[in-house]
Amino acid sequence: MPIVELQNIRKVYDTKVAVEGLTLAIEPGTMFGLLGPNGSGKTSSIRMMIGMTVPDSGTVQLFGKPFARTSLHKVGYLPEERGLYKKMKVLDQLIFLGQLHGLDESTARKRSLAWCERMEIAEAIEKKTEELSKGMQQKIQFIAALLHEPDLIIMDEPFSGLDPVNAELLMKTLIELRAAGKAILFSTHRMDQVEKLCDSIAIIFKGKLVLSGGMREIKNRYPRNRVQMTFTGPDSFLKNPAVASFENYTGIAEIKLTSPDAAQSLLHAAVAAGAHVNRFEVMEPTLEEIFIETVKGTPEYAEAGGRIDV
Amino acid sequence: MSSAITNTFLIARREYLERVRAKSFLVMTVLIPALMGAAIFGIALVNRNQKSAQHVAVLSDDPAFAANIQAELAAADTANKPVVDIYPLHDASARANLDTQLKSKGSDLDGYLVVTPSSTSGQRPIFQWVPRVTSDVITRGRVADASRGALIRQKLAASGMSAPQIDDLLASVDLSAGNGKSDHAGAAVASAWAMYFLMYFIILFYGMNVARSIIEEKTSRIFEVLLATIKPEEMLAGKVIGVGSVGLTQVGIWLALAVGYAKFSTAGLDIHMLPSAGQCGLFALFFLLGFLLYASLAAALGAMNNSEQELQQMQIFLMLPLIFSSMIIFNVITSPDGVVAKAASFFPFTAPLIMYTRVIVGKPGAAAVAGSLAILVATIAIVLWLASRIYRVGILMYGKKPNLPEILRWLKYS
Repeated sequence: MPIVELQNIRKVYDTKVAVEGLTLAIEPGTMFGLLGPNGSGKTSSIRMMIGMTVPDSGTVQLFGKPFARTSLHKVGYLPEERGLYKKMKVLDQLIFLGQLHGLDESTARKRSLAWCERMEIAEAIEKKTEELSKGMQQKIQFIAALLHEPDLIIMDEPFSGLDPVNAELLMKTLIELRAAGKAILFSTHRMDQVEKLCDSIAIIFKGKLVLSGGMREIKNRYPRNRVQMTFTGPDSFLKNPAVASFENYTGIAEIKLTSPDAAQSLLHAAVAAGAHVNRFEVMEPTLEEIFIETVKGTPEYAEAGGRIDV
Repeated sequence: MSSAITNTFLIARREYLERVRAKSFLVMTVLIPALMGAAIFGIALVNRNQKSAQHVAVLSDDPAFAANIQAELAAADTANKPVVDIYPLHDASARANLDTQLKSKGSDLDGYLVVTPSSTSGQRPIFQWVPRVTSDVITRGRVADASRGALIRQKLAASGMSAPQIDDLLASVDLSAGNGKSDHAGAAVASAWAMYFLMYFIILFYGMNVARSIIEEKTSRIFEVLLATIKPEEMLAGKVIGVGSVGLTQVGIWLALAVGYAKFSTAGLDIHMLPSAGQCGLFALFFLLGFLLYASLAAALGAMNNSEQELQQMQIFLMLPLIFSSMIIFNVITSPDGVVAKAASFFPFTAPLIMYTRVIVGKPGAAAVAGSLAILVATIAIVLWLASRIYRVGILMYGKKPNLPEILRWLKYS
C-alpha cells in the first residue's frame, strides 16, 4: 500500500496553473525525490498532500485512505521556508511542536532530549533560538519534523544552507529512518544531492510531470555513453570520431561518446596518442543531465523560451 | 472536534505563557499604573496652581453695588475666597496704580472692573473689564456672572426684598431631592466611560498584539510548520484567546489592586461605579465579547498585512468603531431607547459599549440584550472565519500586499 498517492491533481491560482495532472505514489521504506526547478510546483504539490490547500481536481490519498486531517499526526514536514519562535527556549519549542502533533508533554520532552543528543546539539536545549547558529536552528527544525515518529517524512530542500558535516548527519539519519520503514519525500532542485539517496523520482517542470519511475530503471533507460578521465600529456585523442562532444578542464575531461561501445576504442586511442591516463571511468548520465534532456523535449520548454531555472 | 480545541488551547497557552513570562509584561504592569498615577497627580498639581479670579479690583462709586459683586465672586469660589479690592471710580491715582500692578510680575492682580453709571437714570451701568491676560476667560466669565448677579440683587433690594429673602431666591436648585443617595445617571456614565477606557486600552495594546504576533509568525515563517498540523482558524482563535488572556490578566491585576487599595485606604474612596451584581456580570460579558470581536478584527488585519508598517496604517480601522461608540454615548445616555441607541446596540462593533450603557440607563428588555449578545457571538465567529480565509490564501501567495478585490476573491478559495 503506497503511503502517498496523488491521482491526477490540479491546482490553479488565479490564472497561474501551479500543478497540472500530477500523479505519483510513494511506497513505505523508500526515498522519493520530487525534483524540478524553482517554481515548478513542488511546494504546491506538497501543500495539497498535507491538506494546506485543496486540489481543484484529482484525489489525494494518505496511508491508503482519502485525505483526512487525522492522518497528519503521522506526517512530518520540514518546509522549505521555515522558522522558529526566536524568543522561545529550544526545549519548550520542541515540546510545543510535538504536542501540536499529538504527543503528550512528557513523551515530547523525552524524545526531544534524545533527538538533541542524537543530532549533537544537546548543549542548545536550554538556549533561546535566537542565540543559536543557523545550522543549529535547522537541526532543531529537522527534529521538530521527526519528534512524533511520522511514517511519512516530507523534506522540502532540507540541505539548503547546511554545512557538509551537518548535511551528512541529516542524510545518515534519513537513511536510518528509511531502513526503519518510513517513507521519505525529498523535494529539491539540487538533483546532485539526492542522486545517491532516492529510490524513485518524479521530475516536474512548469507544474507537469515530465519523468517518473525508479531511479535504476530511469538511469538504465539512458545509455552509458559518458566518460570522465584524468590524464596528462597530449589531448589530441579527444578529436576521435567516437567522441560526440567533450569538455576538457585541464587534465580532467568529460566526454560524451557517440555510442556506449566506443569507450574501449577511445581508451586505446588515448594511450596510443601518448597520454598518461590516471583515471578512466565510464559513467551513467547524471540526474541533472537526464532532467535537462527530458525537459528540452517538452512543449513547456519551448514556451519558456528555452530557459530552465535550475 | 476535540483536536481543534486541543490545538487552539495549545496555541493559546503558548502565547499566554510566553507573554506573561516576558519581563516586559511585569514592567508594563507596574509602569502603566505608575505613569497614570503620576499623570493624574501632575494634572491635579497643575490645576491647583492655576488660579482664576483670585485677585480682582472693582472701581465703582456705588459701594453697595461693589459689595454685591464682591459677595457674588466669593460665592462662586468657596474653596479659595478671592480678594476683591474696591476703589472709588474717579480716583485717578488708584487706576494708574492698578495699571502698573497689571504690568508687574510681582502682583497677583487678575484685572479690574470699571463700573460707570449710565447717563440716563434707570439704565444699566457700563462695565469695562481690564484683564492682565486677555485669554483668561475663566476670570472674565466669573466677573461677568458676578456683575449680573449684583444687578439682580440691586433691583430686588430696590423693590423692597430683604437680603435673606434675596439669598433664598437666588440659591441654586437641587434636583436630586428625594432620590436617595445613589445617583443613578452618574454611576451609569461612570461605568460606561470605565468600559470605554478599559476597552480602548486593551484593544490598543493587546488587539494590536494579536495582529503583530500573526505578522511575526509570517516573517519568521514558523507558520509553515504550524499549518502542517493545525488549521488557520485554530491558530487565529488560539492567538486571540491567548493574547487576550494576557490583557485580561493585566487589567485583572490592576482592578484587584485598585479594589484592595480602596478597601484598605483610609481616604475612603467612594467607588460605586457598578450599581448591581447583575450589571457587573453584564459588564464583564460585554467587555469580554467586545474584546474578542475587536481582537478577531485585529487578527484579520494581521492576516491581510505582511509587515508592521502596513499594519500601522490599518490600525485606525480598529479604533474607528470604538471612537464612534464613544461619540454617540451621550446621545444614548440621554435617550437610551431612541433610534440611535437601538441601532447602535445591535450593530456588532458598537454593541458592547452601547448595549451595556442602555442596560444601565434604559430598559432594553432581556430579549434585546440576548439578541445583542447573540449578534456579537455570531460576528466574532464570522470575523474569525473570514480572517482565517484571508490568512490561508494570503500566506500561499505571499510576497505582495493584497488589494481589496483580491481579498474578496480569496474568500472564495479553499
